[in-house]
Amino acid sequence: MASVNKFDYRQPLHRGVLDPNRVRATQAGMWAWLWQRISALAILVFLVLHLTLTYRPLLQFCLLFTVSFHAVLGLRVILIDFGLVHVRYQKALLAGLSVLGLVMLAIVWFGIY
Amino acid sequence: MTDVKGGQKTFKVFRYDPAKGGQGHFDTFVLDIEDYYATTILDVLFRIQREQDQSLAFRYACRVAMCGSCGMVINGKEGLACKNVVGDLRTDVITLRPLNHFPVVKDLTVDMEPFFKKYEDSMPYFEPAQELQEPAVVRPDTWERKAIDMATDCIACGCCVSSCTMAFWHKDYLGPAGLNRSMTLLADSRDGLHDERLAAAMESCYNCRLEFNCTEVCPKNISPTRAIKYIHRMAVRQGPGLADRLTSTPEPKALPAPEPLTPAMSRRRFLSRSAIGLGAVAGVAIGGMVTVSAISAAFKEPERKWVSLGPLEKIMDSPGEVATIYANYQLADGFYKRDEHKPVLVSLNREKNRIIAFNSRCTHLGCTVHWDEKKKLFMCACHGGTFFPDGVVKSGPPPRPLERYKTQVKNGNLLVLEA
Repeated sequence: MASVNKFDYRQPLHRGVLDPNRVRATQAGMWAWLWQRISALAILVFLVLHLTLTYRPLLQFCLLFTVSFHAVLGLRVILIDFGLVHVRYQKALLAGLSVLGLVMLAIVWFGIY
Repeated sequence: MTDVKGGQKTFKVFRYDPAKGGQGHFDTFVLDIEDYYATTILDVLFRIQREQDQSLAFRYACRVAMCGSCGMVINGKEGLACKNVVGDLRTDVITLRPLNHFPVVKDLTVDMEPFFKKYEDSMPYFEPAQELQEPAVVRPDTWERKAIDMATDCIACGCCVSSCTMAFWHKDYLGPAGLNRSMTLLADSRDGLHDERLAAAMESCYNCRLEFNCTEVCPKNISPTRAIKYIHRMAVRQGPGLADRLTSTPEPKALPAPEPLTPAMSRRRFLSRSAIGLGAVAGVAIGGMVTVSAISAAFKEPERKWVSLGPLEKIMDSPGEVATIYANYQLADGFYKRDEHKPVLVSLNREKNRIIAFNSRCTHLGCTVHWDEKKKLFMCACHGGTFFPDGVVKSGPPPRPLERYKTQVKNGNLLVLEA
């Protein structure tokens, strides 16, 4: 079989290579995955800042926001992983949990804190 | 949209000539299309090949979305050329690119060998568990048939594998198509290779990062994500002991295990497990005792002592309305003991011959308040809280009045109950 191929194949393309539509083609599920990773790093940064520069309301809000954002995305993964929510509702879950996250954020920031 | 039936459209098509090599590039073709909604991408490719460039290579067979030959990346999203209509692609320029993760043979044609290698690794074939004369039937209304659902509709077009970034990062990942196929057989109660199949699927199913790209692009509307999650849950239920079950299946070549060893092995296992069990019990017991003794002191209500502030007469003689007297005592909090040296504010009402002893701790954040004789107020320097002589908050952030000590007079000395 190999001897039939006189010419070289081009090495495989992968996501985004030579693709002007890379960002447009990125759908909700992929964004959720990507943002959870980014927010995890942001938590690390804000947590260190929070511990070194204590009692800065802006910093505290940033930390609270990234934590709730990360938690919302994590809850979505947990609910889907355990089969508690069918995968077909993944986008609705993302939207619903985001709203829930914002509500919780508001309660914590304006009510409890 | 109803007015515009067709018009001019630009297509950027990926070109790679194996004779020339290189990285490949995009060629631009402009076509006059009569009706956007009656023209598929495959039609466009035929026209380009016929009218503009005969050397354009692409793959197709059935033209009706059932063979899976014409999978490609259309405007950044994987799909079948024969199923995507020009009218649904709302961009001025439509980009056509070969599938990801497969070597490019020429232009839009890829080598599907890696796909079928992974597919093979997922054991896509059915092996009956029993020898039956008649085909065993899985009834349509059973739970397992519903779980398998339309997942058997896969036409192996490779779109899902192309869209999955984890198929790129994890070279051993069976990929969405392989695991989807695996799931259709894992859910099948007639399957005779269940444990082997599950072991193969468990090797790689955790590479899924829930990106849902495969579900988004599947031209047959299958959700490989659902299949992978099904395998995850099956692995939780059946994974423990899977390795034992696999090794215990008698292989034709293997010699039967020597008889006398079996009881000894089970005895050894019993002993080792009892040792582990006893160790765990002992560990929990010791750990529990250590924990209880370590934290119990913190829950103990500290004993309160009466602390003397000195002779009452001397206090009454001090100038001003409020006397500030330092109380010295030892405070015990759990294991922690500390020497307190803190001011007690004694408000003197000489007319009624009454005193009130205030805790000088500000009720806001615990700074020490002091008496301002000119303003006749208790003031806190930290956040500007002020209190009236009776301890009630006048202004600032403190939420409560100043705390009052319980007082008593014994042998002419004023005593306060420590807090």
